[in-house]
Amino acid sequence: MFALEFPPINEILRWSDVFPSFNKVAIISVLAAVIASVIFLIAGNADGSKAPKGVRNLAEAIVEFIENQIVMPTMGRDGLGWTPFLLSLFSFIYLCNVPGIIPVIQMPATARMALPLFLSLLVWVVFIGVGFKHQGLGYLKNSLFPPGVPGPLYILVTPIEFISTFLVRPFSLTVRLFANMLAGHILLVTFALLTKELVQGGNIALVPVGILPFFMLVFLTAFEVLVAFLQAYIFTILAAVYIGGAAHPEH
Amino acid sequence: MLTAVVTYGSNGPEVLLSASEGEEGLSEYTYADCSIIPEGKDPSEKIESLGKCDPGPSPIMPEAKELYWGAGAFILFALLMRFFLYPRLRRSMDARYDSIRGAHAEADQARSEAEAEVAVYEAALSEVKAEAASRIDAARATLEQERSAQLAEANARISSARDAAAAEAAAAHEAIRGDIGSAAATVAARTVELATGRAPDAGAVSAAVEGSMTSGATR
Amino acid sequence: MEAFTILAQEADKAAAAASSAGFAYGLAAIGPGIGIGYLVGKSVEAMARQPEAAGMVRTTMFLGIAFTEALALIGFVVFILIGL
Repeated sequence: MFALEFPPINEILRWSDVFPSFNKVAIISVLAAVIASVIFLIAGNADGSKAPKGVRNLAEAIVEFIENQIVMPTMGRDGLGWTPFLLSLFSFIYLCNVPGIIPVIQMPATARMALPLFLSLLVWVVFIGVGFKHQGLGYLKNSLFPPGVPGPLYILVTPIEFISTFLVRPFSLTVRLFANMLAGHILLVTFALLTKELVQGGNIALVPVGILPFFMLVFLTAFEVLVAFLQAYIFTILAAVYIGGAAHPEH
Repeated sequence: MLTAVVTYGSNGPEVLLSASEGEEGLSEYTYADCSIIPEGKDPSEKIESLGKCDPGPSPIMPEAKELYWGAGAFILFALLMRFFLYPRLRRSMDARYDSIRGAHAEADQARSEAEAEVAVYEAALSEVKAEAASRIDAARATLEQERSAQLAEANARISSARDAAAAEAAAAHEAIRGDIGSAAATVAARTVELATGRAPDAGAVSAAVEGSMTSGATR
Repeated sequence: MEAFTILAQEADKAAAAASSAGFAYGLAAIGPGIGIGYLVGKSVEAMARQPEAAGMVRTTMFLGIAFTEALALIGFVVFILIGL
């Protein structure tokens, strides 16, 4: 009926360098850090003695969200010292995700492997470091030889624990964030292309049909707003769970 | 001689036809045929195969430039957050919460003070009320006493008057009775004198009259 | 002539790769689909029974979804890897 030529995935991820070794994804990630810093800077400068409003209200809402929804259920009161780290993790990932649905930019920085890989390796290093700091070498013993398992089963349990704790955790953190954002990006591209082909394809009869993928595009854009928030939340809460688990061994 | 080299790249199978030395290249591709024209290339420039096109970045492999820009941005941001932005925000938030808590405590204190004052006032009020009640009771008791005294006096007066009247009546009764007795004795003595011709003993007659009158009164 | 045979074989390979990529993703989506449906259904049940524990259940539900969903996403990555 009509030929829809979908570009290879490489092509929709390709951005020319602004100057050597600085492309759109780098711009987005730098901008995310700058915007988040500016938000918290303005919030810190605002008068804190009255009821917060505007930017300060936003910043305080984020801080309290991190404390009450992420730190308290996973680490308890002892974990409140991790709030700044988790706060920067959350705001940075969210601000890297959200450009995926902002018109003109339309590229989540986390849909490239680099950022999720770096962030999850950072979380990996942090939680292992916390484990060794709090439990010394006992951390390896506690995580590789969980207590309460009959002796011979350790042949089975230890490799599984090793793989799941030290290999699968960073891998799944990376893949979860990266694949969610890339899949959302590809979906948006697909429906945008479909709309364009139907409306501009030259067949007058197909032009009204083009409204269907367009509505789908609008719906998916709204869905991506949710996904951007949810992935930032899940990445942060998993980081909190891993750090909390390393600080306090399960009994 | 013409050699065909088939390669499989990201853009599907590609055929590279190359001619031996001395022969003219048979390639018909230009950069304009690529889906992405590599930077800094003239689109009309001839290329040997589509493999010369820019394949774009791999969707899976991390790119070094993105890695270090993103990592640098995040690390700077996290350090800034840890040592500068968050502590400032937290401090002023804590200060506000403390002031709110202080205001709450002040309000509680003011309320308890007000409640104490209300208690003092109520105590005074109840004291005054008790005094008033005792005064009313005293007045009522005095009134009652006076009234009962007057009542007793009146009763006494009435009863003395009644006693006097009763005594008077009894005296009158007694006098009448004496008169009747003497008259009856005279009559009886005269009757006996007429019947017997002899005057009876006056003492015996009056005793008989007295006895019959007493028995008649009792009958 | 031989070149065209090779060409045809390469085209076959590309088509096979594309369809197997689709199969890989389709298969990878079955389990997590069932799993997430079951998980969220049970969580809603728990929240309806004990609304006061809803916050805790929601946090745990998101954690469970994250772990379950990872499998589907690995399938998606495999889809990209095969499809290349």
